[in-house]
Amino acid sequence: MRYADFTPYDIILLLQGLGVTLALFIGTTLIGLAIGLLLAVVHHYRIPGCRPVIVVVTEALKNSPVLVQLFLVFFGIPAFLHIRMTPVEAATLTISLNTAAFAFVIFRSGIESIDRDQIEAAKVFGLNRSQILRLVIAPQATAFAVGPLVGILVNQLQVTSLISVIGVFDLTKIGNILNLRTLQPFIVWAVIGLIYYIAAKTLAHVGGRIEAALRKSVKWGGI
Amino acid sequence: MIVAENVEKRFGETLVLKRVNLRVEPGEVVTILGASGSGKSTLIRCINGLETLSGGKITVDGHDVSTKAGLVAARRASATVFQLFNLYPHMTALRNITLAPIEVLKLPKAEAEARARALLDKVGLAAHADAYPQQLSGGQRQRVGICRALAMQPRYLLLDEVTSALDPEMTGDVLRILAELAADGTTMVFVTHEIEFARHISSRIVFLEQGELIVDLPTAQFFAEDGGLAVPRIRQFLSKMKKD
Ligand SMILES: Nc1ncnc2c1ncn2[C@@H]1O[C@H](COP(=O)(O)OP(=O)(O)OP(=O)(O)O)[C@@H](O)[C@H]1O
Ligand SMILES: [Mg+2]
Repeated sequence: MRYADFTPYDIILLLQGLGVTLALFIGTTLIGLAIGLLLAVVHHYRIPGCRPVIVVVTEALKNSPVLVQLFLVFFGIPAFLHIRMTPVEAATLTISLNTAAFAFVIFRSGIESIDRDQIEAAKVFGLNRSQILRLVIAPQATAFAVGPLVGILVNQLQVTSLISVIGVFDLTKIGNILNLRTLQPFIVWAVIGLIYYIAAKTLAHVGGRIEAALRKSVKWGGI
Repeated sequence: MIVAENVEKRFGETLVLKRVNLRVEPGEVVTILGASGSGKSTLIRCINGLETLSGGKITVDGHDVSTKAGLVAARRASATVFQLFNLYPHMTALRNITLAPIEVLKLPKAEAEARARALLDKVGLAAHADAYPQQLSGGQRQRVGICRALAMQPRYLLLDEVTSALDPEMTGDVLRILAELAADGTTMVFVTHEIEFARHISSRIVFLEQGELIVDLPTAQFFAEDGGLAVPRIRQFLSKMKKD
């Protein structure tokens, strides 16, 4: 067996790469959704001075290449603030913020899709802010947001492949390594592509199920 | 008692309520009449705290609605039925009704639901407890809206044109329920264009004209030739209403 041949061990390598990709994706998704939600709530309550800052930052994140953001964080922040940052930290920070920007926009329109009238009714009946947020706004905004969020997340899963550029050993990086060793780019990248495809399809499928379940429990025809 | 003293409300430059004075005693049904844009809804929204006053004072059972604690107490004492129902679309009729009793009055769920079912039964919607607003007709939705208000066991019911989004048949259903409530001694502040109905259930009628409360009379006097009808603006308003 030549050094360049595929070996059974490569499967483990691929699984490791997939593990890193999924871990990073799940981690950044959770952080990103949490930050996005928080921004949408802050935006909703018009906390003084916050609105313009949120809008400018999220617009910048949405409308510039993720690779550029990644370089800015990985090379720029350490140089500027004189701190050390590992590739995984830089990748986590960048993609979390990027996801947060998209999630913010979706949550915001979810909140804005809710009729002001019901919120007035809830107020008049004595519900406080957090009760209104939790019981009236959140369930409706979530049902509204799930579909678009799944779309964004499927995209963010692909975007994680960019982190291989700064040296994170994700699925794409493993593909790179296998490709250099075997010099079989067609096979390697086809397999890597297929794995991303399966992961993305699974995600979309799960998201679709959640959305269907949510819509079933909230049967109103409005959205 | 609801007391409004010299209430003023402005939106930007326009003064929408001008030194309005109004008292509503327990047991009274007070109807607010007036042309479109005269400030009826705004007055109701000042009483339930959806608008902040630009001047004057409103108290509900002594609680000043312009203070934070006062508003909480005032909102406990009154309940509002809205023109467009304003139900929570993601909740069943039952849940719409029990939400505030459970969250605000801290009633046990079972008790709140039992009460809600009794109310639904009273308005002929016992079979629709688990329906979502979207699955109900306008008249049914408004009856849920009334149940939602009554479930808070309010001392005062505020109603702003609660039948104007309904077709005549459904209007009848809702008005019948309101007449029963009035007969039971429920205190109501009632904005409506249903003049005959107002005449039938009100103890007093007040008339708003461009933000000014120009007449405040017991119902019989309001419709008397030497009472309300002696005011040209009211005579004109009433004859126009009859034609519509
Ligand atoms: N949020 C607002 N901002 C600016 N102007 C307002 C606002 N709400 C009401 N107005 C104005 O205040 C005036 C009184 O409105 P209001 O809704 O109280 O009238 P109304 O007597 O209830 O009329 P209608 O019979 O049509 O319901 C109107 O001229 C209206 O345009
Ligand atoms: Mg009105």
